[in-house]
Amino acid sequence: MPLVELRGVSKRFGKVVASSGIDLRIEDGEYVTILGPSGCGKTTLIRMIAGILEPSEGQVLIGGRDMKGIPIEERDIGYVFQNIALFPHLNVLENVSYGPVVKDVSDEERQAVPKRYLELVNLLDRMRMFPSALSGGEQQKVALARALASGARLLLLDEPLSALDARVRMDLRYELRRITKDLGLTVLHVTHDQEEAMTVSDRIVLMRSGRIVETNTPEMMYRAPKELFTANFIGETNLLDGVVVASEDDRTVVEVRDGSKVEAQPSRFEPGDAVVISVRPERVHAEEKGLRAIVRSISFMGTYIRITAEADSEDIMGFDVRVPRGRDFNVGDNVHLGWSKQSALVFPRPPGGIAEAVKLE
Amino acid sequence: MTLRGIVKRFSDVTAADGLELTVNDHEYLCLLGPTGAGKTTALRVMAGLTVPDEGTVLFDDRDVTSLEPEKRNAVLLSQTYSLFPTMTVADNVLFGPDIRKVSDQDKEQMLVSLLDLVRLTSRADSYPRELSGGMQQRCALARAIATSPDVLLLDEPLRALDARLRIDLRRELKSLAQTLGLTVVHVTHDQDEALVMADRIAIVRAGRIVQVGTPEEVFNEPVSPFVANFVGQSNFFIGTVACSDPNGSMVEDQFGRRVKARPTDVPVGQKAVLAVKVGHTHILKREVAPLHGRIERMLFEGRVVHVDVQIEGVGRFSSKIPMSYQGRYKVGDEVGIGWNRNKAKVFPYPEGGLENELKVD
Repeated sequence: MPLVELRGVSKRFGKVVASSGIDLRIEDGEYVTILGPSGCGKTTLIRMIAGILEPSEGQVLIGGRDMKGIPIEERDIGYVFQNIALFPHLNVLENVSYGPVVKDVSDEERQAVPKRYLELVNLLDRMRMFPSALSGGEQQKVALARALASGARLLLLDEPLSALDARVRMDLRYELRRITKDLGLTVLHVTHDQEEAMTVSDRIVLMRSGRIVETNTPEMMYRAPKELFTANFIGETNLLDGVVVASEDDRTVVEVRDGSKVEAQPSRFEPGDAVVISVRPERVHAEEKGLRAIVRSISFMGTYIRITAEADSEDIMGFDVRVPRGRDFNVGDNVHLGWSKQSALVFPRPPGGIAEAVKLE
Repeated sequence: MTLRGIVKRFSDVTAADGLELTVNDHEYLCLLGPTGAGKTTALRVMAGLTVPDEGTVLFDDRDVTSLEPEKRNAVLLSQTYSLFPTMTVADNVLFGPDIRKVSDQDKEQMLVSLLDLVRLTSRADSYPRELSGGMQQRCALARAIATSPDVLLLDEPLRALDARLRIDLRRELKSLAQTLGLTVVHVTHDQDEALVMADRIAIVRAGRIVQVGTPEEVFNEPVSPFVANFVGQSNFFIGTVACSDPNGSMVEDQFGRRVKARPTDVPVGQKAVLAVKVGHTHILKREVAPLHGRIERMLFEGRVVHVDVQIEGVGRFSSKIPMSYQGRYKVGDEVGIGWNRNKAKVFPYPEGGLENELKVD
């Protein structure tokens, strides 16, 4: 039962606060990603769970046991680093066998276990090769097999895919989830890539400036973010500045900067409140009437076309159209943009302004 | 700029194997390919940092093959920005050799406009270590532009940045290049980045350019299964061409299943592979589809849900369904899979096998 629990965990490096008051529970068998921009403290957090760093305050518990003073090798965890760390003078099988040697197992099992995990990552045919003969993606799979072969029930992955090409990353993230789910492992995976986080996780923990901003399933983080920062970080979104003019049971009416009125989900805001509306590009459509805007750019995205327009309200609005319809638009065209009220969320306008609230670095 | 028959060998590796490419004035061209394909070598040959073993580099009609980098008026911006750590942002930007000849007053004006362009005005007196990754990248870009190069060569300019930040900076970088009318060659391994940014994409593989075209051409009219899969993922169906006429063709597998595609030049009876983009397939009722199988996995990706269907004797076929359709299906469902025949393309079966052809790593 490798349930992981953090209670009020903080970490300071001199004056810098890398983590601040982190409370988090990870259930047995759960795949959780810690997501956030560079410098948000996600690596510090995973290192405290691994036992590479000691928290300045608070407790780390694994399987109900306080880990204070317990070194990494006694925590029964598998660890995969961003920079692939294989032994160059050992072949693939020897690399994968390296972990379990310390454990009390028979010779037969010592051979069988690494082979089983190499099969799982589809590299059994490469077991006699040396790391230098493998591609980056293959090397990282060997590192994963080694972590799995240690028999640990808790796997910590620190940016395991970020050194790889985009296309390789895409294939490997599906593999990561498949393998760890098949084995019923508990996984904590650190990444700065929101797409990666969405496709692999049961739950995402979004961090910023050493704190947890929000925790939820990928779908809820995307569909119903509680914070403006989340709405912008997890998937792209359009943000419009405005003031509430009516708050009704089935909708909120907001006046944007050019004086036009747009609709959003019902909310707790009162007329006069300063708010920000968030609506995703795939939910915005060019219609007969609505927010007036001028098309500024048209990008082919493969299966759809992204059009970026500047609204009279000075908000920059992105919206997606199907490829054949994309030909109906030209740069400089006037369009009217609308969306269903259910697809627009309302947030309080942040005191420091939108830009500051969604800043990525 | 034109490359003609460029060959470059490093001991036993052929990094460039007869590169042919023309980059037009004011064009934004992306060199896209997997790691080790020879993209950076091509860029260094353009910059004059690598002298080719064979072939010619022309700037307009001038042969610059053996001309030193400083005399080419092409600037290469490397992955690791190489800013001078002991100089401020302003000093870094004005460091270029040509700028030292400019009068102080002109220099000042140039600095103001460049810093404004890359949004670093408030950071003019900061040192590189005080800047975030994105700011360092913009500072390096301003320095490169300050020398008013004819050609700007960018080697993975966004690689060191967080995934979410990269999405924003793609548009910024492209619009900056457009505003200044620069000719840009941009190396990347990220097909999304290339699709969004490029006027034309050149696909590089094993030291050769395998296809050059607009993003739409490369996506919709791939010349090989490799390109079909590298630029947007594809599903593949292996069989023989059963029939072909100007309206379309059919491919039949060993079980007698027939699927439809565009007209093809591959002769009837020949072994072939049909490719259809993941984003172009639809989930259908089992009864009406030529292929059917069991939903193996559904992954939430934000605007769409990725669905993997396991088809007996074919393998995995994937589709992307809008988020709003998610409730219609669940893992384990028996479904059909189909596509518009114009979205499927037939290729001769690759000589070295399909797996080898698709290798990206």
